[in-house]
Amino acid sequence: MREDKNSDCGLSRNRSFAVWDPLVRLIHWSLAFAIVLNGAILDDDGKWHEYVGYVALGIVGIRLVWGIIGTRYARFGSFPPNPFSAFRHFQAISGDDKTIHLSHNPLGALMVYNIWATVIFLGVTGYMMGTVRFYGFEWVEELHEVAFGWLIVSIVLHVGGVFFDGWRTGVPLVKAMIDGRKRVPADRQIK
Amino acid sequence: MNKRPFPKGKRERRALTIAAIILLQALTAMFFVGDVFFDLRAGNDLDVIHSTLELIAALALTAGVALLMFELRDLFHRMAEMDVGLQAARGGMADLINTFFDDWQLTPSEREIALFILKGVDNETIAGMRGTAQSTVRAQSARIYAKAKVDSRAQLLSVFMEELLSSEDTGAV
Repeated sequence: MREDKNSDCGLSRNRSFAVWDPLVRLIHWSLAFAIVLNGAILDDDGKWHEYVGYVALGIVGIRLVWGIIGTRYARFGSFPPNPFSAFRHFQAISGDDKTIHLSHNPLGALMVYNIWATVIFLGVTGYMMGTVRFYGFEWVEELHEVAFGWLIVSIVLHVGGVFFDGWRTGVPLVKAMIDGRKRVPADRQIK
Repeated sequence: MNKRPFPKGKRERRALTIAAIILLQALTAMFFVGDVFFDLRAGNDLDVIHSTLELIAALALTAGVALLMFELRDLFHRMAEMDVGLQAARGGMADLINTFFDDWQLTPSEREIALFILKGVDNETIAGMRGTAQSTVRAQSARIYAKAKVDSRAQLLSVFMEELLSSEDTGAV
């Protein structure tokens, strides 16, 4: 593969780590697919929109369980939601600390929790719209709309962050979410 | 070189299959639970047998999901461990090869050819990849053998095999 074409006559010095298990990857891409379906393709008032929304909610639910009992880098313990370390990470970006985080980096971790929370919020407000009790209440629908706008903003930031971090650290992150392996350049520290 | 050992690919496929089943089965379980919930809320034709069956199905599915999750976690951790071992061995092998090549004072192109030889690439292919004549490659391999004090490809390889298979007390490389 590509690693073999480096210096050292093909004796690779790059390390690669099996980080994302297949369930994490399946959940990631099916959630992305569900969001694209509901956000851009399906009719907002249709039955399918509702079902895909519940599926997205379910997917996040499964991920939350997996965050407790799952594989090492998938567990919440590997990427705790910590604004302080996120801030420190921000400083590290401004400096030239290129330490690699095998799980999500602290800033990415915040984004991950944010996206899950937003999807849950969308699911709940979406469900409320269909109930007798909240039927016809404008504010529920408005909340749903606002949350969707926030989700779009988040996804743009998420994708931007992924490419920025991939460029900064030299670890191809999209590839890592496809085959599960983070390929770390030889000279990088690992956390 | 790019071929992965067969069992690994098999394990990866197995892990992916388990993950897909977990996802589908968990969603199905949620569907049943949701259905019971909505039936109860709606209050229409409360069919006890129907709801009970649905609940049992949901419980069974959930138990299956939990078991598969543990199975997947163990499988993935075993795979990762094997991976670490393999990479450590690879790193050690790379160090060993580089040390010998340094000792023999191979030139950069000789190093490249020596590595191809170790990988089992024949002269014709090496010549093709390097864009040189086969006779050049033959001459260069002859120089490599001379520097390594061996007579053939097989012997060159055995220098490293010997090092890997020898016991601890043979001393430093």
